[in-house]
Amino acid sequence: MRLTDWQLAFEQHLLSETPVANSGFAATLLGGPTLDVDTGLAIYHNAYISRLQDVLRHDFSAILYWLGDDEFAALTEAYVRRYPSAHYSLRWLGERFPTFILEHLVAEQGVPLAELARLEWAFTLAFDAPQGEPLTLHDMASLAPEDWPGLQVTLAPSVQQVFCRFNTVAIWRASKDESDFPHSQALDPVQICLVWRHQNVCHYRSLEPAEICALAGMVTTGWRFSELCAELAVTYAEGAPLQAVTWLKQWVQDGLLERRAP
Amino acid sequence: MAMSLPFLGYGLGLRNEYYEQILEQSPAVDWFEVISENYLVQGGKALYYLDAIAERYPLVMHGVSLSIGGPHALDTDYLKQIRQLAERIQPAWVSDHLCWSRGSAHQLHDLLPLPYTEESLYHVAARVRQVQDVLERPLVLENVSSYVRSKADEFTEWEFLNALAHLSGCQLLLDVNNVYVSSRNHGFDAWTFIRNLPPQSIRQLHLAGHMDYGDYVVDTHDHPVCDPVWDLYQQTLEHLGPVSTLLERDDHFPPFEELLTELSKARELGAMALARRSLCA
Repeated sequence: MRLTDWQLAFEQHLLSETPVANSGFAATLLGGPTLDVDTGLAIYHNAYISRLQDVLRHDFSAILYWLGDDEFAALTEAYVRRYPSAHYSLRWLGERFPTFILEHLVAEQGVPLAELARLEWAFTLAFDAPQGEPLTLHDMASLAPEDWPGLQVTLAPSVQQVFCRFNTVAIWRASKDESDFPHSQALDPVQICLVWRHQNVCHYRSLEPAEICALAGMVTTGWRFSELCAELAVTYAEGAPLQAVTWLKQWVQDGLLERRAP
Repeated sequence: MAMSLPFLGYGLGLRNEYYEQILEQSPAVDWFEVISENYLVQGGKALYYLDAIAERYPLVMHGVSLSIGGPHALDTDYLKQIRQLAERIQPAWVSDHLCWSRGSAHQLHDLLPLPYTEESLYHVAARVRQVQDVLERPLVLENVSSYVRSKADEFTEWEFLNALAHLSGCQLLLDVNNVYVSSRNHGFDAWTFIRNLPPQSIRQLHLAGHMDYGDYVVDTHDHPVCDPVWDLYQQTLEHLGPVSTLLERDDHFPPFEELLTELSKARELGAMALARRSLCA
């Protein structure tokens, strides 16, 4: 058997659902004095699955907390069979897990669970995103008065936005605190949860609709600071500049923003 | 001879569990080995600590995803990132494993054994030269533990390593624990393996623990080094002279002090072995 064919047969063994190898492939192998070929192949097979499941246990600990060991093991085994790793780094193994949950489970269970998986994955993305150059309060204090109206910002590279239709953040928090799980409940209105890294620590915060709209206007639509004040005037009248500054200060303190090049 | 290669002393694997203690306590560790893939990221805590620790300690890069014996083309993007990381932290050397870890389309994330045949030898040697051209430095390759071997083998593992070092110019990371594990699983003499390697090519040693199931042994890196591996390590140093030694622990992380105690044991046993070597010289 040529090297490539032998390796493909080995790969098929690892990817198969059973630790018992195809007899044709097993016949190409030798064991040892007290280690037979079937046991040797089972060691590889088990190591393959358990290594991948260990990574997913780490990256999706709230899903594990929700489902328990057995259900989590079944779900993750089905996941790695459906979507074997495609990246050299195990750090990316869970990238398709939220999508897989939607594909694999009935909607009633899958939709809130997938949302929790998206939240956990957002932490993974924030954890090692590029540092960027987040604006600081010192930067803002140094900004000349005439530059304020034209100020434009964008999100720092680590900021992830998770659209929450359920009380996913409360469920995630319960898993971290190892406290009783709240029942899964739909939210009205929906929330955006921001997840980001600031000074090497990951943070999260849910935003109310008014703050979401203001932030989206600045970082997505590209409003200048003066436009933010004008938009807020509809709701806040003469209090609009104060509200705009309050939010801007909070976003800068959190490390959410970078200055957009003029 | 091995003595002409840089001797870094006695090192530990750099793991995130110990970052803060390393920076706060500046422990008596001569060098750290980093898992390259853990730092092929764009930012965050891991890179922050890596840069800080690189300012204080010599580092060596140890990869797990090169798949030097794989059936696919080498991943040039991965190699470029390895090179960039090497430029960033200036490691004493860059190592990976004599194995394959990627199949036809999927990453298998295991250190899978190769058949020790001429076909494998020429396949791997050509790819080692390709890697060395990109990295502009010798590649250091580690022997892996194995649980099956191919009936098609034309060489012993140590003959294969000799031939590969000769053909490609690669250097060797001799994992003493892996030799012990494979010797138990396949029924060969561990010392025969080690004494037949080319001493001039051995740049580094690994020490680690394993799980002994009686009929077979699994390389788990989650236990302290066992006595037979310590014995083999001393015999190896008596034979080779000083070789940079790394104590590995990849799971069931003990308090850092326990690892430092185990590293002190390596240092003491190493010193005794080297003293015996001097007396016999």
